[in-house]
Amino acid sequence: MTALSLRRVAASPALGRLIVIAALLAIWEVAARWLVDPMFLAPPSQVVWRLGATFGTRGVPGAIGITLLELVVAFALSAAIGIAAGLVLGLHAFSRKSFMPMVLLVYGMPQITILPLFILYFGIGPASKIAFGVTHGTFPIVVTVAAGVQNIRPILIACAHSMGADFWQRLRYVIFPHVVPTLFTGMRLGMTGVLLGVLLAELYVSTAGIGYFTTLFTQNFDPTKLLGLVGTLAAIAIVLNALMRRLERHFGRWRD
Amino acid sequence: MTIDTAIRISEVSHSFGEEGEARHVRALLDTSFDIARGELLCLIGPSGCGKSTLLNIVGGLLAPTTGRVDVFGKQVAGPMPRDIAFVFQESALFPWNTVRENVDLAMRFQGVAKAERAARAARALTAVGLAEFADHFPGQLSGGMRQRAALARALSLQTDILLMDEPFGALDEQTRMILGEDLSVLLAQTRKTIVFVTHSLGEAVFLADRVAVFSARPGTIKKVIAVDEPHPRKPDFVTSQKFTSLRNELYALLHDEIRKTMSAERARPPTPGALS
Amino acid sequence: MSGGAKPVSRAAVIAVQIAVPVVLVALWYLATTRWGVSRILLPNPVAALQALIHVLATGAFLGDLRVTLFELAVAFAISATSGGIGGYFISRSTWRIRVFEPLLSAIYSVPLILFLPLYVLWFGLGPASKIALGASISFFPVVLNTVAGFGHVDRTLVTAARAMGASDVQLFRFVLLPAAFPVILAGMRLGFTVALLSIIGSEALASLAGLGHHIVELSENMEMPGMFAYIAFVVAIAAILNLVVSTLEARGRRP
Repeated sequence: MTALSLRRVAASPALGRLIVIAALLAIWEVAARWLVDPMFLAPPSQVVWRLGATFGTRGVPGAIGITLLELVVAFALSAAIGIAAGLVLGLHAFSRKSFMPMVLLVYGMPQITILPLFILYFGIGPASKIAFGVTHGTFPIVVTVAAGVQNIRPILIACAHSMGADFWQRLRYVIFPHVVPTLFTGMRLGMTGVLLGVLLAELYVSTAGIGYFTTLFTQNFDPTKLLGLVGTLAAIAIVLNALMRRLERHFGRWRD
Repeated sequence: MTIDTAIRISEVSHSFGEEGEARHVRALLDTSFDIARGELLCLIGPSGCGKSTLLNIVGGLLAPTTGRVDVFGKQVAGPMPRDIAFVFQESALFPWNTVRENVDLAMRFQGVAKAERAARAARALTAVGLAEFADHFPGQLSGGMRQRAALARALSLQTDILLMDEPFGALDEQTRMILGEDLSVLLAQTRKTIVFVTHSLGEAVFLADRVAVFSARPGTIKKVIAVDEPHPRKPDFVTSQKFTSLRNELYALLHDEIRKTMSAERARPPTPGALS
Repeated sequence: MSGGAKPVSRAAVIAVQIAVPVVLVALWYLATTRWGVSRILLPNPVAALQALIHVLATGAFLGDLRVTLFELAVAFAISATSGGIGGYFISRSTWRIRVFEPLLSAIYSVPLILFLPLYVLWFGLGPASKIALGASISFFPVVLNTVAGFGHVDRTLVTAARAMGASDVQLFRFVLLPAAFPVILAGMRLGFTVALLSIIGSEALASLAGLGHHIVELSENMEMPGMFAYIAFVVAIAAILNLVVSTLEARGRRP
């Protein structure tokens, strides 16, 4: 490698990010080994090393599995309801003017306050987690899709109309392709909401879910396993989000 | 109505909003006019004089408050995609489709059979000089090329009438000149009836067989000027004596109307956000 | 949508907007009084209203409200200052922006409530863990918006100021800060809202005091009217706080 290209690599942001992550891991490692009481913090090397034991703990893989299932179901429901409602509100002026203020009002409310009610109504099983995920995930999708349908340039519709397109043709060839990128933005936001809702419900009450294990590891002062579990869930969240961003970029290509 | 009249406009007027409402505006006063088959008519006038409104009424995109429009003897009651094609000022190409797909889609809306669409698209794109860029997206093209694509789309529909609403308005002067010359050549080859809205005096004189000059809002046709010069018009027409005197005549007619429009706008206090 | 669509009747819209809540409340009342829905699931709306009036009149909420607001104030103070300062330093170099912004965005994409068990391990069930979580979560919208605000200042403004001889401090005070201010302010508002939600949430999950905790306590004791009263109260408090913050933001935007 020439001196110039070496410098260019060193200046690359990707490398910079890796350096920052490595530095943080190093600080964590040092602090956990020598500075902090091992009851409270475990070094990353140990967390990774003992991941096997963490997942070997009876019930943990099952708990993660159920959580993933809840995420998938909640997201599918949120997307279906959100897209349908978003399209209707976007296309039908009367519905939008009547119901959108109500939607925004409920969207802005701190939903955590009614989490105990969800548990009461849906029980302590996956149903309440899915339901809570759906209420968190649907609203961003509805709002985003409705806005996306609404901000289509009127001249594109007028143009299709002038060329003889009927309502269904306008919907299929003009409105839908226009709305697709916004749809994926909405779904990314919906995924974030679903993640939050499902995890909140899981942490609140579970007899065999991840909430149970986080409480268990906390009460047993087992930071290794706690960090392992929390870290895994965080990694799952990051991957899902990155995936949604990829999709969003792919389908929004023509916008740039 | 003779066979040679393509469009008959009868006592058309238009207002937006209801009387007494804040947004009520009389856009167009009683207007009557005949447009002959195969002629290129320019509509020119100050901002807000109703020329685009009239164009939309002729094309069936807007129903007039009073009056009627007849196209080839049939009353206009909505878009007539087999007889009328539009070219708009801002790009009305669908940004998610390539140029070729845009042209194909227009024909699909009109109802052209699949077998014919590819050939017609290729011919139209070649006619405007965009054959190489057929598979590009509108976002990848310059403003002039986008309007060529819009023109190709309209041409592929093979309508007898073309309605163009300031199609070159967003382009720089040099591109406008070239596109104007190309349009004149195209006109000579087909026998389309074209109604062309513009702000540019030079463009009106260069392209039109007749120029209809509008008054300030509420607009009506103040005077019609004929340009007696065969198509295709040569670039050196622009430097001729005939061109200059016609252009001066247009300028004199328009100047007062433009001043009227400007002072009417100054009298109204600016609405918040008007400058954004 | 297609030009010339009939305008929507305002009266009809308002009629619907009034009718829907009225119908919902009516259904609620009927469900508990006539249709035999258990009082354990759904309290009588009248009882809930009475409980709410009682709570407001006696000021029983004060203790919990004080705890929650204290946690909110401290958490937001921490995240606003660290986010603002950190955001400024990151924004000073394009390389730093490209390195840190994706990392911060990636972390923010995780539901950070996940880290509550960790904070409880470290700080126990008292206010400290809520403050830590609130500060951690609200740090991100503040820092990301600050980076965006300072990072997107029009280069021509900076060049012009430098050409006129502006020093670093003058550049910051008279060019960078005013230009970035609306975006930073929006980030602060977002951070505040997020901090409030995180704190109420973490109180519900693991706490000994605070509004979120009280709601959970009432639900565990099956005190339904009281629980509904507190839910309404907390929603109202959140709405008021959001309104205050939004108004401040709007005021801050005006030159």
